[in-house]
Amino acid sequence: MTLILQALASGVVTGCVYSLIALSLVIVYKSTDVINFAGGEIVMVGGYIGMFALLFLGIPYVLIFVFSALATFALGAAFDRVVLHKVLGRAVPGQSILVAMVIATVGLSYVLKGSARLVPYTEEVRRLPPLFTGEPIFLGSVILQPQDIAIVVIAVAVMLALWCFFAFTLTGKALRATSQNPRAAALVGIPVRTMRMTVWGIASALAAIAGILLAPKLLMTPDMGVIVILAFAAAIIGGFTSLPGCIVGGIVLGVIQNLVGLYVASNAISVAPFIVIMLILALRPQGLLGGRVVAKKV
Amino acid sequence: MFGSPSLARLAPLLLLPAIGLLLPGYLPQYYLYLGNVIMMYAVLAIGLDLLLGWAGQFAFAHIAFFGIGVYGTALLQIKLKLPFILAMPGAALLAGLIGLLIAIPATRLRAVYLALATFAFAEGAQWVFNAWESMTNGADGLRIPAPSLFGHVMGNDPAAFPLVATLLALVLAATMYLTTSKLGRALCAVRESEHAAAASGVDVRGTKVIAFAISAVYAGIAGGMFTLYESFANPEVFGFAQIVLVLSMIVVGGLGSVPGVLIGTVLLGVLPTVMRTTMRDLLVWQELVYGVILILAMMFMPRGIWGFIRRKRRAVRT
Amino acid sequence: MTKFRSLRGALLGAAALLGLAAPASAAEPGVTDQEILIGLFAPMSGQLAAFGFDPLQAAKMWYEEINKKGGIHGRKIKVAIEDDKCSPTEAVAVVKKLVTVDKVFLVNGGSCTAAAVATQEFVTREKVPFVMLNAAGDGGVFPATRYMFGAFGGTQRTVGATIMEFAIKELKGKKIAFIAHDDDFGNSNWSTAQAVAKRLGVEVVAIERIPPRITDVTAPMLKIRAANPDVLISTAYPAPAVLIAQKYAEYGMTKIPLVQAVQGVPIPAVYAKNVGNPAALTNFYYGSPLNDLTDGPKQQKWIDLYKQYYPDRKPGAFMTYGLPSAMAITMALEKAGKDVTREKFVDAMETLDFDSGVIAGPTVFAKGRRDGSRASVFIKFDGTKHTLMPGVYLWNGKDGM
Repeated sequence: MTLILQALASGVVTGCVYSLIALSLVIVYKSTDVINFAGGEIVMVGGYIGMFALLFLGIPYVLIFVFSALATFALGAAFDRVVLHKVLGRAVPGQSILVAMVIATVGLSYVLKGSARLVPYTEEVRRLPPLFTGEPIFLGSVILQPQDIAIVVIAVAVMLALWCFFAFTLTGKALRATSQNPRAAALVGIPVRTMRMTVWGIASALAAIAGILLAPKLLMTPDMGVIVILAFAAAIIGGFTSLPGCIVGGIVLGVIQNLVGLYVASNAISVAPFIVIMLILALRPQGLLGGRVVAKKV
Repeated sequence: MFGSPSLARLAPLLLLPAIGLLLPGYLPQYYLYLGNVIMMYAVLAIGLDLLLGWAGQFAFAHIAFFGIGVYGTALLQIKLKLPFILAMPGAALLAGLIGLLIAIPATRLRAVYLALATFAFAEGAQWVFNAWESMTNGADGLRIPAPSLFGHVMGNDPAAFPLVATLLALVLAATMYLTTSKLGRALCAVRESEHAAAASGVDVRGTKVIAFAISAVYAGIAGGMFTLYESFANPEVFGFAQIVLVLSMIVVGGLGSVPGVLIGTVLLGVLPTVMRTTMRDLLVWQELVYGVILILAMMFMPRGIWGFIRRKRRAVRT
Repeated sequence: MTKFRSLRGALLGAAALLGLAAPASAAEPGVTDQEILIGLFAPMSGQLAAFGFDPLQAAKMWYEEINKKGGIHGRKIKVAIEDDKCSPTEAVAVVKKLVTVDKVFLVNGGSCTAAAVATQEFVTREKVPFVMLNAAGDGGVFPATRYMFGAFGGTQRTVGATIMEFAIKELKGKKIAFIAHDDDFGNSNWSTAQAVAKRLGVEVVAIERIPPRITDVTAPMLKIRAANPDVLISTAYPAPAVLIAQKYAEYGMTKIPLVQAVQGVPIPAVYAKNVGNPAALTNFYYGSPLNDLTDGPKQQKWIDLYKQYYPDRKPGAFMTYGLPSAMAITMALEKAGKDVTREKFVDAMETLDFDSGVIAGPTVFAKGRRDGSRASVFIKFDGTKHTLMPGVYLWNGKDGM
C-alpha cells in the first residue's frame, strides 16, 4: 500500500511540472494553431538562465523565477515577431502555412540547443540546487522532499494566476477572443499581432518556470528538452484544447508512469506515455476534459 | 496536368540506372555511399510528401514504416531465407498493411490529433524495435545480410548503387503515374477541402486511408533500399530526429511537388557532409547553423524552394 | 510537363559534377617512405562530444610524441581527423571517406560502441585495421573479428563482472540489487554480472532495467527497497545515476553500500554536487578502469603532457582513455617492421601485452581476443576524499559468455 501511495505522491509532483509545460504548448496551439516543437528547449533555456542568475549573478532564488520568466518572455515574443510573423505574412489564402510555421519551431529548437552547447559550462551534467532543502516530510509512511511541496505549491499558484489573468484582465479576455476567432477579434479592434506575441511570451515564461522547478529534480543538459514529449502526452490526456485539462493530464501522466514502473516493468516506463496517447486518441480524442471536437470556424 | 504520363516524360528516368551503372567505375566508394543514402531519402521523402503535401494529412508515423521496411527485409532474408527480390516487396507490403490498419482509426482524427497520434505510434514502434530482442536483437543492433541478386552477392556500395538507382527510377515512374491518375486528383481534392471533395463524390475517408497505405509502402521500399548498402540496423536510426529530417526535406524543398521534394532531399541530405567538411574548426556550431538555415528557409521560402522558383517563373511570365 | 524536364537537367548536372577522376592506387594504402596516414575519428560535436574530443586529442598527442622521437622506422605519423557525432550512420560515412577518399593505412577511432560496430562489416570486407579509441566496444569485439580491436578501457562486460565481484568479495554482499539500463550497455554489463553472482553463489534479489532517459526513478527504487538488499549496484549513466543516489538517500537506504559504475561518474566532484546530499555518499564507491585516481600521480603525468600540447584546454574526465589505443598502434607498427602492410600490422597487434601506464591492468590482444583491457579498480568517495580500494579486479573472459 505504501508503494502505491508513494508512487502516487511522486507522480503528482512530477505531473505538476508536466502540466506547466503542457499549458505552455496548449496556449500557443489554441491561439495560433501552431504546435511548438521548441517547447522543450525553452524549458531547458529557462532552466539554464535561472541557474545563471542564481549562481553567477547572485540573484536570490525566489527572484530567479521572475528573471528567467522575463528573459524567456522576451525570447518567445521576439521569435513570434521576427520569424513567425514573417512566415505568416507569406500565407496565400486557401493554402495552409502551418507546416512551415511548425518547421520554423523545429529550427528554433536546434538554435536553442546549439546555443546552449556553445557555452562550455553546459558540457557537464548540472543540477540546480533545490529551493528548499531540509528534512524529508512524512505524510504517513510517504516520503516527500520539501522541494516536492514547493513544486506543487508554485505550479498551482502559477496556474491560478494564469486563470485569473484570462478570466479577469482585459488583455486576458482579448487573448481568449483572439484564439476563438481571430477575424472577429481584429474587427473589434484587438491588435491581433500584439496578442500573438503576448501569447508566445506567456507560453515561454511558463516553460521557463517549469524549467526552474524541474531542474533540481531532473538534471540539466542541453538535451533535457526531450521532456516535451511527455508534456504533449499530458496535454492530450487532458484534452489538447483545455487548459484545466493540462493540469489533470499532467498529474494523470505522472502517476501512470510510476504505476507502470511499479507493476509492469521499469523499462516500459518510456513507452507508457505513447500507449496512453494512442489509447486516448482512439477512444476519446477530446481527452478527459476537452469539449467535442469541432471544425474550427473561419 | 492529369492523364497518364507519356513515354517522353518517362524516358529521362532511364538516366538513373544508366548513371547507376557508370559512376561506380569512377567514384570512390564514399561518394557512392552518399549517393545511395540520398537516393534512399528521396524515396522516403516522396512517400511522406504524398501523405502530407498531396493528401494534406499531418501524419508522422512514416519512420515506423521505414523501420518495418529495414527490419522486415533483413529478417525475411535471415529467418525465412528469402532472396532480396522477394524480401523487399514483402517488407514493403507488410509496411503498407500496417499503414492501412493504422489509417482506419487515425483518419478519424483531425490535424493536431492526427499528428500526435501518429507520432506516438512512431515512438511506440521504436520502442518495439528496441524491446523485441528475439527478432531485432534490440539495442545491440541487427546485422543485415548482404543481399544477392540472381546469384550475384552485392555486399558494398558500388555493387548496390545501380540497384538503388534503378529502384529510385521505378519509384519515380510509379509516382508520376500516381499523381496524374484519378487517385492523384482525389488526393488534391481532399487536401484543398474535404467538404468540397465529398460534395463532388470523392470518398474522402477511403482516399485518406489509401494515401496512408501507399505512403507506408514507399517507406517500406526505402527501408529495403537501406539494407542494400548498410550492414547494420540500430533502433536509434528510427527516432524523432529522422522524421524531423525527412519533414524538413520536403518542406524546404516544396510540399506537393516531386521536383521540389528531390531538391530538398539533395540539399538537406548533403548539408551534414558539407557542414562537416567546411566547419572543421567550428563543429560545435553545426546544430545552431542547421536551425538558422531552417528558420531562414521558412521565413523567405515557406512554400519551399520549388514554390519560390515557381513564383519567380510566374512573375516573369506576367 | 516542365517539372520532369528540369529533373533530367538536374540529374545530368549532378553527373557532370560528380565525374571526378578515378583514384590512383598505391602499393599499400596510406604508407609512403616518409609517412603513415592514420584516420582518426571521434564525436567532436553533439551530445557526446565530452566522450570523444579529449581522447582524440590525447591520441594525436601521442603520435606527435612518437614523431618527435623520429617516427617509426623513419616514417612520421600523419593524421586525418573526422567527427562521427557518436551516430552509427555518421561513423559509417566518415570511415568510408577515410578509407576510400583519404586512403588511410588504418582507422583509429570511435568513442561509442554502436558507431564502431556499424562500420565493422565495411572494415572487414575492405581488410582495413580498425582500432577503437575509447569505446567500450562490446558488440565490435565479441565475437572477435580479425580487423577490429577495442575495449582499451574495458568492455561493459568487464564493468559488470568486476563490479559484481567487488560487491561480493570486498563489500561482502549476499543479497545484491542491480540497476542497469535497457540498452546495449545494460545488456552487456548485466549478462556478466549475473554470471559472476551465480558462480560465487550469491543471490541477486532485485534487478531493475531502466530507460536511459528516465526522469523519475521512484518506481524502480521502491521495488529495490522492498527487496531488502545488502549492496546496491548501479551501472546507470550520469543523469539517472544522480537520481538513483538521491532516492537511495531519501528512502533511508544509506546503511548499505552503493557502488556506481564508471559511466555514471565522469567527474566525481560534479556528481557529488549534483546529488547534493552528503548522506548519499557515506557508503559510496565508484569503479574506474584507470590505474590511479584521476588526479593521482600516475594520471597527472599525462595531464601535464596534455597541458604542454593544448595549453588552452582543460582536459575532461576521459582524456587519458585515448592513450592506450594510440600506444598499441605505434607499438604494433614498430613490431611490424619497415615493410609494413595491413596484414602484418594486424598480426603484430595480436602479439601485444603491455602496461600502458594509464589503465589498471595490462592491455592484451591475442588470436581470438580483441578486447584490450579486462581490469577495474574501485574507489571509495565521501564527497571530498577519494580512497583507492585494494586490488585490481579482472574479468576472466568466460563468465557470461
